Amino acid sequence: MKQSPKMKQIQENMKPGVVTVNGFIGNDKRDLVQILDQDNSIVRELKLTHGMIADKMQDFRDRGEAGLGEFIKIEPHFDVQVISVRGGIRCPFEDKGLIQKDSITVKNLKTGGEINYTDLSIHFIRKHGFYQGIGSLYRLNPERIVEVLEIEHRG
Amino acid sequence: MNEVLLAVLVCCGIAVALTILILIVNATVGNYGECELDINDGSKKLTVEGGESLLSSLNSQGIFIPSACGGKGSCGLCKLKITAGGKDVLPTEIPWLTKEEIAEQIRLSCQVKVKNDMKLEIPEEYFNVKEFSTIITSIKDLTHDIKEIVIDLKKPSEINFKAGQFMQIKVPKYELSNEEVYRAYSLSSSSSERKTLEFEIRLVPNGICTSYVHQYLKEGDKLTVNGPYGDFYLQDTDSEIVCIAGGSGMAPIKSILHYMNEKQINRRTRYFFGARSRKDLFLEDTMEKLEKEMPDFKFIPALSSPEPEDNWIGENGLITDVLDKHLEGGNNTEAYLCGSPGMINACIEILLKNGVPEDKIYYDKFA
Repeated sequence: MKQSPKMKQIQENMKPGVVTVNGFIGNDKRDLVQILDQDNSIVRELKLTHGMIADKMQDFRDRGEAGLGEFIKIEPHFDVQVISVRGGIRCPFEDKGLIQKDSITVKNLKTGGEINYTDLSIHFIRKHGFYQGIGSLYRLNPERIVEVLEIEHRG
Repeated sequence: MNEVLLAVLVCCGIAVALTILILIVNATVGNYGECELDINDGSKKLTVEGGESLLSSLNSQGIFIPSACGGKGSCGLCKLKITAGGKDVLPTEIPWLTKEEIAEQIRLSCQVKVKNDMKLEIPEEYFNVKEFSTIITSIKDLTHDIKEIVIDLKKPSEINFKAGQFMQIKVPKYELSNEEVYRAYSLSSSSSERKTLEFEIRLVPNGICTSYVHQYLKEGDKLTVNGPYGDFYLQDTDSEIVCIAGGSGMAPIKSILHYMNEKQINRRTRYFFGARSRKDLFLEDTMEKLEKEMPDFKFIPALSSPEPEDNWIGENGLITDVLDKHLEGGNNTEAYLCGSPGMINACIEILLKNGVPEDKIYYDKFA
């Protein structure tokens, strides 16, 4: 799929030093549209939607907030910590407003799996189906999220 | 044949003309020359080279405006009033500015480029802000994810700050960051200690500054900091005091308590501190010592999920529940809170319910 000028501009916004020091693409050489397309295929193969994945991430984030910065147990077998970081962040897709900079860590105590993500990760996935480029600090493989958070597929 | 030659000549002519045009554009566009920054109605006038952000231009002249994001437009701290020469508010500033602030000509100094002369209003307290060269003298684990960092000021060798304020730490380029960045952290030392500073810094997964502090910084290293900043500090009243914190929110509260102890400010003080289990609890000895030295101070730690091996006999539950249980509150109470927005919002609700006036609730929200 060909990358539109708008997508090119967004990919520029994702380079290191524009919105964040390290950017969102990592060392991924693919066009943004390819990154989106390939992760979209994976999510479809998992019989899920980006919204379903984002909903679960948001649910852990909301419930974890009750720990007021400390790890908190979430049934049936998760430990979740939400750490607040000063400031907000703009979305490189040029969405309006600012997104909080909370850092969320979810540990699956049954499998030993652990993922770390941010409020921006949830926004990226829900609104843009973007899991970040390979090598990006906060890159999350859809399969990994689904495995750690135990997201069940449709039908 | 002549037509071919003519076509080649025309193409060459166009190429030469384009090259000259590019050279002219390069030499003029983006070259704004020297610009004058008139600060506080002429009380200070600076001449700077145009083209940089206002934040950087002021920093280069030794005027430090608070910024926790290193000029990326993601913290909203570097607001200044630009009364002339600021041009239109940029889309990148809008999320941070209220309608009232826009009407009052408040701008984000990291987003505004200096392209012409400007008139600015800078709060007087920012002129007390300096950049300090320092040496790390001690790094100590307070918990599994919080370190205490002590630095000696070298140049300048002394600082004036109010207990509760924060500094910015400059992180050099390293593995996780290909550029220098600044991040803001509260001071935990007493403001009467003017030659050394202390911080309590919690590791945030993938955090540029916290990873640097936890994984790279060592005793003897040089570190650049600037400050002090912030309006979270002890008010000069006789009201009773309630302090509430969790995790590294301990830092400014500890600074305030040390200051009170040294100045023998004997106001009734209750300090509620929330942690998950014993391993997240720290500085119990320091608090115990303060309880002995301060006539009406009590430290009330609460564990939300103590482990069986903790043998915990203190308060159980979330800090909000413990606060609600113990708070006496009332009109004559001031509250000082430091922590996550979630914790602060939840605690404010409890404080208001218990009669603490809204205008006496002071907080340092990590937001």
